[in-house]
Amino acid sequence: MDRNQLKKWFQNPVKMAHKYSLHVVYFCTGCGIIEIPPSITARWDAERFGIIPVATPRQASLFIIAGYVSLKTLRSIIRTYEQMPEPKFTVSLGSCPINGGMYHDSYNTIKHLEKYIPVDGMIAGCMPRPEAIFVGVTHLWTLIDKDMADGYKRYRSNYSAYRANQEKILGKLEWPPLFPIHGEE
Amino acid sequence: MLKQELETMFDNITIRMDKKNQLELSITKDGIMSVLSFLKNKGYDHLHVISCVDWIDDKQLELVYILSAYMKQDVPGETEQLNILLKTRIGRDDPKYITSIALFPAAEPYEREIHEMFGVDFQGHPRLTPLLLERDYDIPPFRKDFDTKQYVDNVFGSVPSVEGEDDS
Repeated sequence: MDRNQLKKWFQNPVKMAHKYSLHVVYFCTGCGIIEIPPSITARWDAERFGIIPVATPRQASLFIIAGYVSLKTLRSIIRTYEQMPEPKFTVSLGSCPINGGMYHDSYNTIKHLEKYIPVDGMIAGCMPRPEAIFVGVTHLWTLIDKDMADGYKRYRSNYSAYRANQEKILGKLEWPPLFPIHGEE
Repeated sequence: MLKQELETMFDNITIRMDKKNQLELSITKDGIMSVLSFLKNKGYDHLHVISCVDWIDDKQLELVYILSAYMKQDVPGETEQLNILLKTRIGRDDPKYITSIALFPAAEPYEREIHEMFGVDFQGHPRLTPLLLERDYDIPPFRKDFDTKQYVDNVFGSVPSVEGEDDS
């Protein structure tokens, strides 16, 4: 362990523990899944960075959305995101969640993922190399250090706007709201 | 040979040997079911896919049934396996056709997909419910007059950014 970080550990051990043990649920929508197996296995070994894949979203703290998001997967992404316990961080992988990428004129693919769920970091590229995932994760560490990875707090405070955007695209959602919605009753 | 048999059995059929092992048949729309059952009895019992092409200038939709055989055929004169492309054209406005599930049960998902992507109504299909799409579309999205760019601007462009999220 880096001795320079001892002060941080004593000041805020919870945050440091969150930072260095990110449990990831991968949402493999498209071509992004190709990059995930080499990055979590021996070739690039994501456990060096404290990243470990977990089985269910209820055990996870980091949500990596790898690839384009079609309408049907957006529904599952929202459900997965809402099941994760806080604090939770979201990183999107590839250029498609940023602005549609090569699916910019597709009738069935959403263009801006951050309009539907909060995204803390976006790794651009088509597809990003596994090294880019680790660069993104180290950026996420600095964001967590500075309390800037606050997507789950923004989701809580702007929930009615997020829910309105989700229902605008997907129609009436069949599950109840996670947080109370302003302007109702 | 299969080619001569088809020519003697059916009127209005045009037969073309595309490649070495690919036979292309075109027939008017009322003859498809009889040709399909004839070919099925000949041993071509594997329906690969049903596909659809939108010929917007001719105001027609073209259905393509692709068949092949699992077992080697004992038709005299046939030396190797054939893939058969069976094509027909139906009207583009309010398209209706008969389902082929009775002959090939594997046709069910393909006909559902063509129903939602091209709007062809397959009469007799047990459930023409949406298979892939989430939203309702005014024009089925695989038709040539569906303007994807305009649709994207209308639907996805009108979703507002969440307040304080970004500056776009």
